[in-house]
Amino acid sequence: MKPPILIIIMATIMTGTMIVMLSSHWLLIWIGFEMNMLAIIPILMKKYNPRAMEASTKYFLTQATASMLLMMGVTINLLYSGQWVISKISNPIASIMMTTALTMKLGLSPFHFWVPEVTQGITLMSGMILLTWQKIAPMSILYQISPSINTNLLMLMALTSVLVGGWGGLNQTQLRKIMAYSSITHMGWMAAIITYNPTMMVLNLTLYILMTLSTFMLFMLNSSTTTLSLSHMWNKFPLITSMILILMLSLGGLPPLSGFIPKWMIIQELTKNNMIIIPTLMAITALLNLYFYLRLTYSTALTMFPSTNNMKMKWQFEYTKKATLLPPLIITSTMLLPLTPMLSVLD
Amino acid sequence: MLKIIIPTIMLIPLTWMSKPNMIWINTTTYGLLISLISLFYLNQPNDNTLNPSLMFFSDSLSAPLLALTTWLLPLMLMASQHHLSKEPLTRKKLYISMLILLQLFLIMTFTASELIFFYILFEATLIPTLIIITRWGNQTERLNAGLYFLFYTLMGSLPLLVALLYIHNFMGSLNFLMIQYWIQPLPNSWSNIFLWLACMMAFMVKMPLYGLHLWLPKAHVEAPIAGSMVLAAVLLKLGGYGMMRITTLLNPLTNFMAYPFMMLSLWGMIMTSSICLRQTDLKSLIAYSSVSHMALVIVAVLIQTPWSYMGAMALMIAHGLTSSMLFCLANSNYERIHSRTMILARGLQTLLPLMAAWWLLASLTNLALPPTINLIGELFVVMSSFSWSNITIILMGINIIITALYSLYMLITTQRGKYSHHIKNIKPSFTRENALMTLHLLPLLLLSLNPKIILGPIY
Repeated sequence: MKPPILIIIMATIMTGTMIVMLSSHWLLIWIGFEMNMLAIIPILMKKYNPRAMEASTKYFLTQATASMLLMMGVTINLLYSGQWVISKISNPIASIMMTTALTMKLGLSPFHFWVPEVTQGITLMSGMILLTWQKIAPMSILYQISPSINTNLLMLMALTSVLVGGWGGLNQTQLRKIMAYSSITHMGWMAAIITYNPTMMVLNLTLYILMTLSTFMLFMLNSSTTTLSLSHMWNKFPLITSMILILMLSLGGLPPLSGFIPKWMIIQELTKNNMIIIPTLMAITALLNLYFYLRLTYSTALTMFPSTNNMKMKWQFEYTKKATLLPPLIITSTMLLPLTPMLSVLD
Repeated sequence: MLKIIIPTIMLIPLTWMSKPNMIWINTTTYGLLISLISLFYLNQPNDNTLNPSLMFFSDSLSAPLLALTTWLLPLMLMASQHHLSKEPLTRKKLYISMLILLQLFLIMTFTASELIFFYILFEATLIPTLIIITRWGNQTERLNAGLYFLFYTLMGSLPLLVALLYIHNFMGSLNFLMIQYWIQPLPNSWSNIFLWLACMMAFMVKMPLYGLHLWLPKAHVEAPIAGSMVLAAVLLKLGGYGMMRITTLLNPLTNFMAYPFMMLSLWGMIMTSSICLRQTDLKSLIAYSSVSHMALVIVAVLIQTPWSYMGAMALMIAHGLTSSMLFCLANSNYERIHSRTMILARGLQTLLPLMAAWWLLASLTNLALPPTINLIGELFVVMSSFSWSNITIILMGINIIITALYSLYMLITTQRGKYSHHIKNIKPSFTRENALMTLHLLPLLLLSLNPKIILGPIY
């Protein structure tokens, strides 16, 4: 894509999300969502093949439907409260519609079917933007309407998302689909505590974005999209295999890595609100996630897969791929646990 | 406590920056020095704990285990030298770093004063162990072994996290020193029963309890020698230590909740001892014997009498040293014939008489010969379980007999009789191996002179 066009499109994506996060008028929020969606379609279609076109079409259809549902919820709220300000949603029907619309945008179960298919059809870079940046806008709206969300609905969606994300990822060898199911699971964890303590949702979102960015960048270094191509990495970049190992363990939520922080905090908040079975169930189902991350690390870092050459290691040229900010990203994705007392800055 | 933790952390730069021919020497020497420092903690004032900081403390329950952990690191390094000799330098350094990292987490676990801190480090010990087993094990089964190890432990410990957070909510703090004064008896209700189960299952899986022990033979057999040593000696004791800490919070439910686990342990120790009699794989035999000894510890911790706690502590330390020594002996066999089958290398007494002496002493301590601390542990546990219920003496007696049977079976198969023909040209014992066995045996024998220091908090 020509640089001027790419700059304009990226700027529109960012401006769209900014407008969503910073407005208090519902119409402007809807405008922000539409800007964001329309601008990301060319990004999804960077590689012009039928798979990418199918992915962008699916993305467009689901996001447009969700925006319309959101608008419907906004209109019902306007009808019952007479104002466009995003503070308290007075009508439960409007609240349910908005929640449904936003969870459709996020890819929570039962609206999760588009996530693996869209993520698979696009390039790694577009997938990265899709799974990280695109989650910020809906999450910020959920944060703002969190006092009025129906807890039962969202908790049910969260629980089923964690289950679906765990079980769906078990049979996958394509890395983008694995990251899609990982995204569904993490969105489930985030949705579970929005109504109880939205600050923990922000914590989880931040850490999830950091970890997903690091993972995608490591995949992009090797341009690997399947488990098989990832397993050749020990031959080319042995250091990256160790990075993938700790990053995958962090995504799975193992202490003492920073992926454990959101799980710990979320379980703490849920137990404070007298829910014991749900966090236990979520924690145990998250083990399914850990299983397929661990399987990835088995083929990448912990065994030496048969490779295509006869030498111990390939000739090592200098890295020419741009891995922006990779060291700080990896460090924050794995070593933040001792800084957990600093959570108070998120308030 | 920082005087142990910071030197252990600094062992990692020591590994990475030493000259290639000095990595083993440097790390082993400094590891031994660190273990000397930890011995100071064994001098405990009565009825009190040493509180060096807000986050760490040590009392007579954790100090012996701390000393065992720090003592074991140089021994693990000595044992690993041979099988890593052919690896590239970076991988050697990675292996040593994994061992040091595991040591660090274990030190912090045994001295943690807050239960969530303990939990995080308890889980953190899983990661280096997983990497050691899966990356440096020798057979294809190691992948499965790593999976079983990780997931069995995690399935047990995630409910523990929820239970700890729940207890934190209604007690106000989980700092172990403060909870001692705030304990109230837990009323009997269904939710408290689940709380008891959630708290204990993590440690039951770790010990392991007989029905949940499937991960142990896999993990012990597939791990390289350092992995087997640390698994058998220290990681199993994490379960025992955790159980001893958390049962203080769970009275009086333990009185009746303990019955199923007591029965599983009592029956399980006989079962696993009997399986040992039919094993062909040497490491598998030692692994099952670990399950059997740990079942005794579970029985002791669940009875909750002063003598049983003393017996549990002594048994944990004794079994740690004995089991680790047996794994080192098995490894010395493995390194020569590259097979774990017992009958392949018979009659070693003719070829390696000094090693046969170590085999004899290790087998004798394994079957709890007086006056070793193994006997003190087992005897205290047997006596306290007799006072709990008279019939258990039958089961304990049968267990002691079968333990003696398989220990002698192992000794006789590997050492006595005519040697098999193909082992005539094995290398003689290295000084390193003899030093390793001595360093295992010496604490064991010296402790029988003064077992007071390992008898735990009730003494």
